[in-house]
Amino acid sequence: MTAVLRSAESAEMELTNEELVAECKARANVYRLLAGVFLEEPTAAYLNALRSDEGMAMLQEMGAAFGEDFTAMPLPQLQDALAIEYAALFVVSGGCPAIESVRLHGRLQQQPYFEVREIYQKAGFKVVGARFAIYDDQLGAQLSFVAELLERAAAALGSGDRVGYERLTKEIKRFWALHPGKWVRGYATLLERAAEHSFFREMAKLLGGFAQWELDLLGVRVEDLDGGKLKVPKSEIEYEYDPAEPVCNACDKGRESGNKADEEFSNIDISRIQDRLAGQQTERKG
Amino acid sequence: MFEMNRRTFLKVSTGATAAAVAAPKVLNAMENELGGKDFGPVTMAERQAVPLTCHVCNIQDGAIAYVENGRIVKLEGNPEHVSTRGRLCAKGNSGMWYTYNPDRVMYPLKRVGARGEGKWKRITWDEALAEVTSKLDAALKKDPNSVMMKYGRDRTGGAIGRFMKTLGSNTVVNHTSVCESSKKIGMEPTWGPDIETPDFENTKYILNFGSNIMEAAYFHNPYSQRLTEGVAENHAKLVTFDVRCSNTAGRSDEWVPVFPGTDGAVALALGHVILREDLQDTDFIDTWCNVSTAELKKHYKAFTPEWASKLSGVPVETIERIAREFALTKPATTYTYRGPAKHLYGSYQEKATMMLSIMTGNVEKRGGYCLPRGMGYDQPSPQPPGGAKPSYLSGPSEYPLAGHKVSHMTPLWIAEGKQKINVYFTYMDNSVYTNPGAQALWGKLYTDEKLLPYIVSISTVIGEETALADIILPDCMYLERWEPESMPNSLWPWLGIRQPVIKPLGETRETRIILRDIIHKLDPNGKRGMKQYWNFKDGEDYMRQQFDNIPGLKQAGGVEFLKKHGVWPIYGKLNPRTGKISDNTGREIQAEFGLYMKELSAADMAGASVDGHGTIHKNGKAIGVRRKGKNYVGFGTGDRLINIRVDEWAKYGFNPMPTFKQIPWHKDMKDDELVMTTYKYNVHVQSRTASVKWLAEIVHANPALMNADTAAKIGVKTGDLVRVESKVGHLVTKVEVTEGIHPKTVAISTGCGHWEYGRLSTLNLKSGPEFGGTEDADLKNVWWEDKGVHPNAIIPCVVDPIGGSQGWYDTVVKVTKAGPDDKYGDVVASYEKHLEAAKETMRYAYTGDLHRKMHPEMASWGGPASVKGGGGGGHH
Repeated sequence: MTAVLRSAESAEMELTNEELVAECKARANVYRLLAGVFLEEPTAAYLNALRSDEGMAMLQEMGAAFGEDFTAMPLPQLQDALAIEYAALFVVSGGCPAIESVRLHGRLQQQPYFEVREIYQKAGFKVVGARFAIYDDQLGAQLSFVAELLERAAAALGSGDRVGYERLTKEIKRFWALHPGKWVRGYATLLERAAEHSFFREMAKLLGGFAQWELDLLGVRVEDLDGGKLKVPKSEIEYEYDPAEPVCNACDKGRESGNKADEEFSNIDISRIQDRLAGQQTERKG
Repeated sequence: MFEMNRRTFLKVSTGATAAAVAAPKVLNAMENELGGKDFGPVTMAERQAVPLTCHVCNIQDGAIAYVENGRIVKLEGNPEHVSTRGRLCAKGNSGMWYTYNPDRVMYPLKRVGARGEGKWKRITWDEALAEVTSKLDAALKKDPNSVMMKYGRDRTGGAIGRFMKTLGSNTVVNHTSVCESSKKIGMEPTWGPDIETPDFENTKYILNFGSNIMEAAYFHNPYSQRLTEGVAENHAKLVTFDVRCSNTAGRSDEWVPVFPGTDGAVALALGHVILREDLQDTDFIDTWCNVSTAELKKHYKAFTPEWASKLSGVPVETIERIAREFALTKPATTYTYRGPAKHLYGSYQEKATMMLSIMTGNVEKRGGYCLPRGMGYDQPSPQPPGGAKPSYLSGPSEYPLAGHKVSHMTPLWIAEGKQKINVYFTYMDNSVYTNPGAQALWGKLYTDEKLLPYIVSISTVIGEETALADIILPDCMYLERWEPESMPNSLWPWLGIRQPVIKPLGETRETRIILRDIIHKLDPNGKRGMKQYWNFKDGEDYMRQQFDNIPGLKQAGGVEFLKKHGVWPIYGKLNPRTGKISDNTGREIQAEFGLYMKELSAADMAGASVDGHGTIHKNGKAIGVRRKGKNYVGFGTGDRLINIRVDEWAKYGFNPMPTFKQIPWHKDMKDDELVMTTYKYNVHVQSRTASVKWLAEIVHANPALMNADTAAKIGVKTGDLVRVESKVGHLVTKVEVTEGIHPKTVAISTGCGHWEYGRLSTLNLKSGPEFGGTEDADLKNVWWEDKGVHPNAIIPCVVDPIGGSQGWYDTVVKVTKAGPDDKYGDVVASYEKHLEAAKETMRYAYTGDLHRKMHPEMASWGGPASVKGGGGGGHH
């Protein structure tokens, strides 16, 4: 994934204007491709495009390793299997709907729903479901929105409107910081674990990787609040302090004689406190 | 200049305390406003308030939903509502969890795997309607009655009935037999209505039989308010007969533990003492009842305190003392709910208890036992005529008196082929969880495609029943729909409305819209004559047809008034000092009493005739009764009198007079056997609330309550695992040892132990596939790991042969220390044994071989062959 999309160090300054336009369009396409996973059950046209030689090559380059349940299954059966898995993951009770309100608030149609709706409206968009109605803070809608902004950014660059491009880039950054950045990476790891079909599993992986790549590219630092965030192996945690060092005197280790903390405590000068207390008593008596 | 250091300031400012206390106060906390307004704590802006009628349970409290930035953020009581007076219970306060529940069904779903396998495909409404109507079409061609509707809670204001009548099917089955049908049937033939409205607030003495008024009874919000006022302000004495020390029993002046199913015997003995000592209201009995005081005294002679004491365990002196206290304290009232009624012969028990209020003349008195006050609303015209053929399932011939049906026997009767079902609709129901036999009996029925070829669930969530459906049509939640309401939950009648606070989420639709869409798809051009009955634009339009022509309401503004206030009429203002409703003079509003004594007008009497018993007839209907030369409306019975003797019962070989029948299998219980009862917590309804986080957090587990002596005999202490075994299966649960339960009883609450109904109910979030569980921000705060054990699978079907009720509290069990192979949560029950039990209980029906044996006093009855015509009571 990162090998193809490159790392965060790839500053836009290195790209020509034409390259930037192309990059915006390419990014918009990836957003749309990912939105297609969530907006509704994968359609035949969508699956055909993905399973075309070109599509498969691109996905492979991005690091997706689909199983035979995706690559070798006849289209009608594949569509059927994916529709069932889609329902189990995103629609049926007990699933994990790809909806920000649910992920971050545990309930449908909460604050994120209204916030993104307002953002879409300000940008001149309204969410209209295709085959089914969808929530404004559904992942597919959020990804589609960024894709639209990227298309606009590409158009702005194409017409020499650098200010417009920068404004749109800021808008995208702001949107990521306020919404997808808060939950998509964690959600992707969750989905990767929950999915039974390799299509959803690999697309979840792709989503997680792409989300981090975008955040790096945009220079947005935002904590993923979704509880499903990656669990970092203990061995990979870098400590800025010695975890073996006692931080209080409550434990036996902290009370060991010769402990530095003990020594420091015994050396604290409390005479000024004693003086103040004595002064107060005098004042009261007076 | 104000110059001093902070310490000096602290010192000198102490002198300001007294002045500060004495200074006038102009700022009150908003909570002191008693509701009606709400403000965002951050924005300080007033929130949009939408009045409505609550529907988390069926009390139908007046509520207000507050909306901020499009979200329902708070629910509270509607201070304009005369019954609930601005108070809402914990369940009502949690109502928005229903709306925003991430486990809601948002789209039509079609089953793609085996039933119950959990494999679904989302389909469009067009696809769903096309499939349902094609199945319906085929079924209607075969037999309209092969289309069945089984509903749990129908508050659609008639839409469900209209739908089935439009289809021409009479196979409509409700949930009432697992609810309180024998209470209704105990009352209806006696005085007309199916429920009482006690004036707790103004009473001086309350005899409460088996009702947890403060926590779970019908109308518990308005009633617990009034009961508290009666006890605290009016110094009423509250005596509770119950097998369990419920929150009501615990707050009573006396809790009298009774052996399960013997309340009726105690009530008869209380009556015996009252009549023996001549403490009855002779004038009331002789004027308003169809049995004289002398006849009553003779009849009650056999029901001695000694006899009742042996059956119930209540000491003779307690019975005698309470009888005297009750009869000599005026006003007084009785109250019951499921305790007496949910037994084999529950109707007799209900009748026996209401007799105490009747014989003491407390009927329709201030502080007494009053008739319910309700208000009706219209049905849109034209109305469908209904089906031509009777349906066995909705009116089984063995139970002609069970006017509220016998729904819990459906699995047996379908399995026996009593009626063929082709399309089965389920609406706001969860029989696979809530009925006796639960998954063992109903689960089997639902998974058998031969017995139920096609199941349509109109539901908001995938519960235990919906999980076994073929297609799910997503209904919307109560905060998103229109419905008319009226409930006799206080002494002031009212009409209310449920209106959408927000638009329905996802692709959910209002029930009546779903039903309309089915009919329109079935009869697109109106040629089948169905479409004409579903002529409305939307829910609001339907509401207008129901409300806009009601006298009084029409003048007030009809639906527009209800949209603004939620309820009509507005009797007064909630007084912040008393918490009661005051009229515009500042005085507390007073209810009207003595409804049966309203005199008929000359216009009413024009063309009327009076028979030998004083019953006034007009146009073939009894409209009143003449007493002491005056023409009164009387009671809602055939002769407008209180029918202490119900002749219709005698027709079927039942005792027409107040009586008691001991549960036969309770007679010879062994020492190590107990009676298992169930109960309900204040934060739960039967099955729907387990998915509400705030409520599930309060109560999520249901250990078996067992008396300390009993537990000591078995050798268990609180927290130990026990195996509870009935004749149809066993379960393994934890025990909670308490003094607050009858030693021969073990009680396990309902509302817990779900295996479907979403992540919170099943707690399928701590282990196994992690998705949808711990990762949800709020759900990761679910600290509890015990979801409880549902008892219904080991409770066999029992039918009251009169009222049709399930005998929930009749199950004999053996409780033992759990064995090495027993695991917490084990529930094992046999379908075949359940069917056997269901067949066995039919032996008590008037057609059964045990009927005569149970009624030796009816030896002169001519047998089933002597009966002609249908039953009485209830609503067929």
